[in-house]
Amino acid sequence: MKVAQALLVLASVFAASMIAQEPGTHVPSVAFAPVGRVQVKPGGTANVQLDFRVGPDFHVNSNHPHSELLIPTQLKLTAVQPVSVPTLKYPAGEDVSFPFAPDEKLSVYSGDFSINAVVKVPLNAKAGDYPVTGELHFQACDRRACYPPRTTPVKFTVSVASK
Amino acid sequence: MVASGKYLNRARQPRATSLVGDVRGKVAPDFELTSLDGKRVKLSDYRGKAVLLNFWATWCSPCKVEMPWFVDLQKKYADEGLVVVGVAMDDTDAPKIAQFASEMGVNYPVLLGTDKVSDDYGSVQFLPTSFYIDRDGKFVGKGVGLLARKEIEDNVQKALASRVVGANTPANVPVSKPAVQQPEAQ
Repeated sequence: MKVAQALLVLASVFAASMIAQEPGTHVPSVAFAPVGRVQVKPGGTANVQLDFRVGPDFHVNSNHPHSELLIPTQLKLTAVQPVSVPTLKYPAGEDVSFPFAPDEKLSVYSGDFSINAVVKVPLNAKAGDYPVTGELHFQACDRRACYPPRTTPVKFTVSVASK
Repeated sequence: MVASGKYLNRARQPRATSLVGDVRGKVAPDFELTSLDGKRVKLSDYRGKAVLLNFWATWCSPCKVEMPWFVDLQKKYADEGLVVVGVAMDDTDAPKIAQFASEMGVNYPVLLGTDKVSDDYGSVQFLPTSFYIDRDGKFVGKGVGLLARKEIEDNVQKALASRVVGANTPANVPVSKPAVQQPEAQ
């Protein structure tokens, strides 16, 4: 149900952005699907799936592009102490050739992709809600042009239960 | 992993400019930028030449496709008065841009872009973006995104076909025949 709601939100975001676009001046976007409250017990960890959708006709570099010159997609998160996010697991990129470089494979994300964040709560954490905020940094291209790096805000809440 | 390629200050709001839409016939804004070898270069330094002004970045894969074409066009039309001028929109170090340009065999001047020149040229948001400027300093065309080589060369020839008004050119000779390409709707 939550996944369906998230996808519905993503679809709404893109519908709105497409209406606002003029031919030839469309702007790349990567939308973030809202995450429900993440429940973690003191001393526990949780895997949080963060879902993103790249705008139609665009691709972004994966977290490990094949060239150092290319700008990787990176998620930077900040958690309120004592909650921490020690690990982010990025998906592998898809190796794709584009008309502008048919002999070259680029490692990209397009459509939907997810990054898994491991949330850790220490044993001495007090009960309560702890926001985790950050940004997804990405640089998008379509089949003919590239666009300056952009960011998408990311936010979710970790709810620590009482012991 | 080195994220060397970035864009100039992306958080700022571009300044409003009149240089949007069809630019043909408008005077190309003059600028003064620093070249990779540290020289200050003005667009007006090239008055009397046809200029292909190409905005690019090291992280822009389509830009890499055009660069060998620009190298060829620079060789082919140098004697007729073409100058290709690259404007790198990275905020990375000049030596890294220079190394990249060297590896690409670039034989034309590359200048370090600024937010101001981006604004002056209509807030350059798509790379590659190229402007074709006639010998009199006016736009004859603009190309956004990767174009076919033939389209680029056609624009170059239109820029070269112009004559400087008020110099050795009779006043009734057309200055140029403009052309413009915009990217297709995606």
